[in-house]
Amino acid sequence: MAEVRPDEISAILRKQLSGFESEADIYDVGTVLQVGDGIARVYGLSQVMMSELVEFPNDVFGMVLNLDEDSVGCVLFGESRLIKEGDIVKRTKRVASMPVGEEMLGRVITPLGVPLDGKGAISTDKYLPIERKALGVIQRAPVKEPLQTGIAAIDSMIPIGRGQRELIIGDRQTGKTAVAIDAIINQKYTHTEEAKKLGIEPVYCIYVAIGQKGSTVAQVVAKLEENEAMDYTTVISATATEPAPLQFIAPYSGATLGEYFRDNGKHALVVYDDLSKQAVAYRELSLLLRRPPGREAYPGDVFYLHSRLLERASKLSDDLGGGSLTALPIIETQQGDVSAYIPTNVISITDGQIYLESSLFNAGVRPAINVGISVSRVGGNAQIKAMKKVAGSLKLDLAQYKALEAFAKFGSDLDVYTQKTLAKGARLVELLKQGQYVPVPIEKQVVAIYLGTNGYLDNIDIADVKRYEKEILEFIEMKYNQVFESIKKEKQLSDKVLEMIKKAADEFVAVFK
Amino acid sequence: MSKYKVSIRYSTSLLEIAISKNLLEVISADVDFILNVFRSSSELVSVMKSPVIKGQLKISIIDEIFKDKTNFETLNFLRFVVKKRRENYLVNILEKYLDLRDEHLCIANVDVKTAYEFDEEQSKALQSNLEKKLNKQVRLNYSIDKTILGGFIARIGDTMYDASIKHQLKLLQKKFTEGGVTLN
Repeated sequence: MAEVRPDEISAILRKQLSGFESEADIYDVGTVLQVGDGIARVYGLSQVMMSELVEFPNDVFGMVLNLDEDSVGCVLFGESRLIKEGDIVKRTKRVASMPVGEEMLGRVITPLGVPLDGKGAISTDKYLPIERKALGVIQRAPVKEPLQTGIAAIDSMIPIGRGQRELIIGDRQTGKTAVAIDAIINQKYTHTEEAKKLGIEPVYCIYVAIGQKGSTVAQVVAKLEENEAMDYTTVISATATEPAPLQFIAPYSGATLGEYFRDNGKHALVVYDDLSKQAVAYRELSLLLRRPPGREAYPGDVFYLHSRLLERASKLSDDLGGGSLTALPIIETQQGDVSAYIPTNVISITDGQIYLESSLFNAGVRPAINVGISVSRVGGNAQIKAMKKVAGSLKLDLAQYKALEAFAKFGSDLDVYTQKTLAKGARLVELLKQGQYVPVPIEKQVVAIYLGTNGYLDNIDIADVKRYEKEILEFIEMKYNQVFESIKKEKQLSDKVLEMIKKAADEFVAVFK
Repeated sequence: MSKYKVSIRYSTSLLEIAISKNLLEVISADVDFILNVFRSSSELVSVMKSPVIKGQLKISIIDEIFKDKTNFETLNFLRFVVKKRRENYLVNILEKYLDLRDEHLCIANVDVKTAYEFDEEQSKALQSNLEKKLNKQVRLNYSIDKTILGGFIARIGDTMYDASIKHQLKLLQKKFTEGGVTLN
């Protein structure tokens, strides 16, 4: 039997520990004067920096948010009951930062980068500060590449470009998170070989959950895993049980991770779900730090809170690698009130908004997007030509339908033209309905919308529209696959393709029952 | 907050008087003495803090206690503080004065915590090392804390020089349990 001699063991131990320093450790300290409600006032720490991380006993960390004349105000990232008056606080000489890198993909982490998913430590040595200044004018480029969400209503009428900030706003239970999750799932395509050949660069996703239920976050992660979307996604979770400071910094850590990808010439999509809860967490902090309350008791800098976060979304110029960071912030309204303080702030900061309405949702229009008041201010430039061509008349048709909708109940008393508009509108609304977690590729969206706006649906029963769409797309895929291939490759609708679609539609009517 | 501002203002003026009249040592000795008196008598502190007792009476109490035992300038300063009705900050003012004086003389006050009492040689070595490091004169105040197990912890202002066994063990523990991402 093999034997290990005790002196061998001690030699190994000594070797393993040889890197361990045993000199005097020098650090700056302060003393806790007062602690409570996630806030600690500290005396000392005379050299401390603003938003520096400080270490309390029992592995609780804090961040400096107030530098007063004779004390320092810190917010705590852990439980305040672990800290007593008189405890020693150490400086870390590092502003609050988080580890970044490709290793973070597929993981669920806290806003400080500590893994939560039980998959072991994350080995990365790159750290970036959580609060960073947004880029200047020179470093940026106009938004020009599309970010496909896979939701026909959005990709056609409210297109989102890479580097854009598009707000998703609506009451509770209107499917805001669903839209964002679908957008993440649809990015799977950008990671395929096929997309690479077509010159579509991969999009890395970050989902930031702020103040949500732990079960909801678990559900989202499970859904992403089920759809194989976790391979290119990081979930940053600050659930409702976490202290307010963690909820407050969570979006900034998401932006930091996204910026890492952007600065390396890659593309990132960050979903902030949701910023109203972050504003509430920040209000809590500010009031505890005795900053004066303003409207709705939010502090004076609540606009800056969101503007500095969303300014970090950007498209880099080609000199800097041409990466991008797209932001999809989510805001929850109360009873559809978009004129409340936080919604108006964020609406004015973003490059457009997607309105979700509970009345539409309950009427079975899902995703419940109100296309009349949803806009995208910069995404149009990023849309592919084919989609631009078919979507122009779609928006017009839907607007006309909305205007005449009130007359729909008069039925056959209406003139022929009005009846026609109503019939077409109803079919288009039906066409844009879409299930959850089933993103549609852009080429199929184009064909479906083309058929809808060019009257091919007019003789189909409303109840059959979805079935017709599904079957004709399958039909075209089987018999006229060049249609899809050509839209994908050339990104536009040539006359030849249009001919083929028309031919396919005519052929299909004969077989459709 | 105002306490801090008030005491620093008065103590600076006392220091300036001491420097301009070349009485730094005399006044510092007086301040030490007065602080000792205040520390030994809580009654005197509460008399000074009491808003009920009239200022004139407080001045005469101060006169009676300190008249022949302190310098004229010091006594005058005490009277002035009472007259300006800042007597409840008096102890703070005097403590701040000592800090400012040390700063003026380039003396660093170092609190040293050791597990066992240092012998002459060790404390001399520590003193000379610290003086070299800080480029200042060093005044060491020793205290004993068995929980640090060995070595010493020196605290200068807000900076700690931690060479205790306890801290080393803690670092070692951290190194063993550490798995990739930690905060420190």
